[in-house]
Amino acid sequence: MSNSLLINPSAFEAGLEAAFLARSKPNETGQAAFERFAKQRLPHRRIEGWKWSDFNAALRSTALTPAPKADRIDPSAFAALNPIEFTIVNGRVEAPAEEWPEGVRFGVMESVGTIEELESHPIVSMNVAMTAKSLGIEIGDGVELERPILIRHIAEGGGLSFAQSMIRVCPGASVRIIETYEGDGGGFSSHLFHGLVRDDASLERYLVNETGEAAVNHAICAVKMEARAAFRQTSLSTGAKLSRHETLLHFWGEGASAHIDSAALVAGARHADFTSHVLHKQPHCTVRQLHKGVAADSARTVFQGKFEVERAAQKTDAQMTANALLLSDGAEADHKPELEIYADDVECAHGSTCGALDDDALFYLRQRGLSNEEARSLLIEAFASEVIDGIEDDAVRDVFAARVAAWLEARS
Amino acid sequence: MLKIDDLHVAVGENGDAILKGLSLEVPAGEVHAIMGPNGSGKSTLSYTVAGREGYDVTAGDVLLKGESIIDLDPDERAAKGLFLSFQHPMEIPGVQTMNFIRTAMNARARARGEDEISAADFLRSVREKAKLVGLDDTKLKRPFNVGFSGGEKKRMEMLQMAMFEPEFAIMDETDSGLDIDALKMVGDVVNALRAPSRGFLVITHYQRLLEYIKPDAVHVLAGGRIVKSGGAELARELEQSGYEQFVEAA
Repeated sequence: MSNSLLINPSAFEAGLEAAFLARSKPNETGQAAFERFAKQRLPHRRIEGWKWSDFNAALRSTALTPAPKADRIDPSAFAALNPIEFTIVNGRVEAPAEEWPEGVRFGVMESVGTIEELESHPIVSMNVAMTAKSLGIEIGDGVELERPILIRHIAEGGGLSFAQSMIRVCPGASVRIIETYEGDGGGFSSHLFHGLVRDDASLERYLVNETGEAAVNHAICAVKMEARAAFRQTSLSTGAKLSRHETLLHFWGEGASAHIDSAALVAGARHADFTSHVLHKQPHCTVRQLHKGVAADSARTVFQGKFEVERAAQKTDAQMTANALLLSDGAEADHKPELEIYADDVECAHGSTCGALDDDALFYLRQRGLSNEEARSLLIEAFASEVIDGIEDDAVRDVFAARVAAWLEARS
Repeated sequence: MLKIDDLHVAVGENGDAILKGLSLEVPAGEVHAIMGPNGSGKSTLSYTVAGREGYDVTAGDVLLKGESIIDLDPDERAAKGLFLSFQHPMEIPGVQTMNFIRTAMNARARARGEDEISAADFLRSVREKAKLVGLDDTKLKRPFNVGFSGGEKKRMEMLQMAMFEPEFAIMDETDSGLDIDALKMVGDVVNALRAPSRGFLVITHYQRLLEYIKPDAVHVLAGGRIVKSGGAELARELEQSGYEQFVEAA
């Protein structure tokens, strides 16, 4: 291709460009995004923020060959939640055929790009260039949506999957969203989530990543919070060859609060990265962040968390904790907690630990009659439970606890 | 019932010999006490009998009901009816106390080929026995031992012993850190469990506990061996004279 925008593209990038050119009609936003990507290229380990999660290495020789094969989470896992369900298969949105509750609107629309802060992000550029349609949901003023919304992202075959969701929660409204990443897709999937939580509104987002062991995926969630808004996010990742879950949180109004919790349980040669950036622009905001990483075999967990507190953001109360549990000599955890504080009247703290299972506790449990496997499973479950128990909604907590139990069961 | 025969145990990377030919026999239906100074090997004895890794039996044997257990894993020994009340019980954050006790009981039941306890029977029994050991119901819903005082942790050990109804129990300094009321409670639990088919080995520093649990025999452990055995009166003698004579002798 003589007019390629990419210089010396890898096999993956060449396939990506071909797929981009094959899109029916990329709009201006998409075109501009692809041009940005052509300069930014796949992030690699020589870029500081990606030194532990090298997407170029994971993807460069990946040939994009569609070969449908499904490995989905049993839908009964979510039945108790009675959710309003969307399925996005390889980026194609399948909306539920049911009446929407009053005050809730949704649409499948042309991709509208991203926020300015993310234009420098290569995978976001790729996503904006490649996503055909994005899913938009708006929860109207004061609407407290009782049923949760379930969005299932299913990547099938060995190709590309790009998706975007935009959620606007209007003043005083509240909604719970559960998202899954699943399917045995051996290619690359990318999801861009934009959230806006207006004054006094509440957004809860729960994420499960159970993609197959050949999958490479990237998910980024950018949320702007206005005054007294509340955001809670709990993520659980047991899947993917390489996954990275980024969260970009902006405290845009006073008195808002957020919980960002995550648990990575990875075995084999899997690699799970949780990277976040919380930007405090206004006073009296609170954030609690808890990460628990469990790595077995030669698996690896990565946690990079940054709290940035601008001068105006006095009385910020921010705490970050990251704990890793390594189950074998070949497992690895990399943590990088960062505080960047320009205000003087704030309470900000971070803590990071890494260790193995406690021999004293193992012996205690075995003396009580548990086998070695049972004792280890119990301690691993207990380690992750702080994240799971932090989910206030009983039904959602049960779903997450069951996913953790299923992971432990599959390993024993 | 429990027979320890010329037991030699080495501990740690250097393989330091801690037990040096310890022999002891507790017949079914009896309670024996082991007393001894710090560093005499009391905890090594309890860990070795329970099968803790890192406690290497270099010679000798331990038999439970006539069967050698030294090659068994800790959970296999537990399934054979051995219970150890820990000197320093573990905290297990993230595991609700009741769930833990039930999980442990069911694991033992499965290993013994017995039926698991029903939820209703378990609940009734655990509440009744919590009352016996003086633990509030609310504690049963909390994460296991998390934030419990030293005394409460010992009560939790006694609760488990009462629930499991082990064939043989080793109590490693269960009395340390307990007040008089709690000591009496420990005595009540042991006395309620005393049966012709059951044995106890009570490891202690002081004879106070033995006022509530009347031992059939008292052994003095010093320098990794039993240096003297006698009746209940030996405990009172030791309280008067101290351990020094035995340390020197060992």
